[in-house]
Amino acid sequence: MTEISAAPASADRPAAGETHHRESRWYPYALIAPTMLTLAVVALVPFLYMGWISLHEARYGQVGAFAGLANYKKLLADARFWNSMSVAGLFVAIAVPIEFMLGLIGALVLSQKIRFRSVLIPFLFIPSMMAPIIVGLVWKTMLAGSWGFFSYNLLEHFGILSGTSVFASPDLALYGLIFVDIWEWTPFMVLTFFAGMQALPANPFWAAQVDGANPVQIFFRLTLPMLAPLLVVIGLIRTIDAFKVYDTIYILTNGGPGITTESPSVLGYKYTFDFWEIGTASALAVVIWLIFFVFCNVFYQIAKRRLNVF
Amino acid sequence: MHKSRANSLIFTTLSVAYAALILFPVFWMWSYAFKSEAEMFARPTVWLFNPTFEHFGYMIENGYHHYLVNSLIVSGASTALVVLIGTPAAYAFARYRDMTLRDDLFLFVLATRMAPPVCLVIPYYLIYAKFDLLDTYLGLVIAYLTFNLSFYVWVLSSFCRDLPLELEEAARVEGYSRAQAFVKVLLPLLRPGITATAVLCFIFAWNEFMYAFLLGGQNVKTLPVGIPSLITTQGVRWGEMAIIGMVGTLPVMVVVFFLQKHIVRGLTMGAVKG
Repeated sequence: MTEISAAPASADRPAAGETHHRESRWYPYALIAPTMLTLAVVALVPFLYMGWISLHEARYGQVGAFAGLANYKKLLADARFWNSMSVAGLFVAIAVPIEFMLGLIGALVLSQKIRFRSVLIPFLFIPSMMAPIIVGLVWKTMLAGSWGFFSYNLLEHFGILSGTSVFASPDLALYGLIFVDIWEWTPFMVLTFFAGMQALPANPFWAAQVDGANPVQIFFRLTLPMLAPLLVVIGLIRTIDAFKVYDTIYILTNGGPGITTESPSVLGYKYTFDFWEIGTASALAVVIWLIFFVFCNVFYQIAKRRLNVF
Repeated sequence: MHKSRANSLIFTTLSVAYAALILFPVFWMWSYAFKSEAEMFARPTVWLFNPTFEHFGYMIENGYHHYLVNSLIVSGASTALVVLIGTPAAYAFARYRDMTLRDDLFLFVLATRMAPPVCLVIPYYLIYAKFDLLDTYLGLVIAYLTFNLSFYVWVLSSFCRDLPLELEEAARVEGYSRAQAFVKVLLPLLRPGITATAVLCFIFAWNEFMYAFLLGGQNVKTLPVGIPSLITTQGVRWGEMAIIGMVGTLPVMVVVFFLQKHIVRGLTMGAVKG
């Protein structure tokens, strides 16, 4: 379909054919205007409104007098805030590296000569594509105390947890949630890394084989460095997503027992809809957003400069 | 030769075992939709059972089919809106990479996608309460724009980067205006990308829980919201929950089979071409 494959034109790709049209300066802005206006209304305005609330006394939906940074001070002095940060930190610090390692191993296995690969691949997408609240439901039935399939057939036989359940145990609930997250997201990591490996150029690998490199050397000296930018980008996306997990926690523990699994999202929800501390909730949301913005920026820079996408 | 066949067998077995581990819990949960209470809670676990349809009866009696219709309406409407608004922007971000502030605007789009819903649901709740948008279709459709419009623009933009620039230039030489070249030459080529990205948007809206739970109410309850509604003071209705789990997952499975090539690209925001 592209018989006019003019090589010189694609060399200076972005600027080509742009300069001599007077309307050209405004045309791209006209194209993005509907999207930018919509996003300004549906995202920027609520965000600024929330920032404004966070600087006021606000309870029960009534926004009162200007309060300066009082809400932020209150938030930072609240032990539950720091607890939620450490819950999220622990969650990300355990779940993401495990998903990463398993994902790499899975992708290496999947890259071998495997029968039925094209039949298997779609199944691996299911956990990360199905609704997180349904993922929660699945594991509620698997890990329920006494009758849950895993609880009864697996855990009880090892003498763990008779008479209680994973999600009712203050020591285990968070690890239960981490396990669910790993179940949900590892297959996605496998498929992403697999796609990345398939896209690598073949020549360096042939050269390495000719030179007599063994598979371990090839993996650590070639595959891993060539995949590095991709791995960073995937790691960032997964970190961002893991940090904001809400649905599965809501259905499985709702932050309990006590506050042992209370992530920032769950805490924000409780500040708002359980305690009606709108001001503090807004301050929390602003803080979370700032953390996220840093992550996003790093993601974008790496994806753009190192992966040459976007 | 012999060794490689043995290896292939080992790796195939490993992969199949892993897929089974992934799928078993899902199908086990589905089985609850057809089990009586006694069979669900039996110790030891009951493997073979006489399927019952009592849970389906309860769902219809209590109007849960409206949840399904609501899910379809909200997901469909928000996806259609996103395609309409987002397609030109996706193209512009990919094609006019030199425009002033392009990177900043594009990053802003990304930031709205990455923001945790809890950050937006608070102001949304307050604003909707003022404008009577709580518990309306429109309210949910607007809220879903926050994550789906930005997602759509980002991912479709990565499809747009694959379009050959020469084709557009040839169309211009033929006398097409830029808008005509976009609509008549590029849009048909983009159709697979648009379909894939739009279907993913549909699934994200279909799966969404937090906005639906907090901004919906009596009239506009979607399927995911049905799940906590079955945790009642008289006990948890597992069989009915399993029905929602099954009905909610089936369309996702269909999509996965038809769109597998594009899902990696979607879930990595266009960073990985699957």
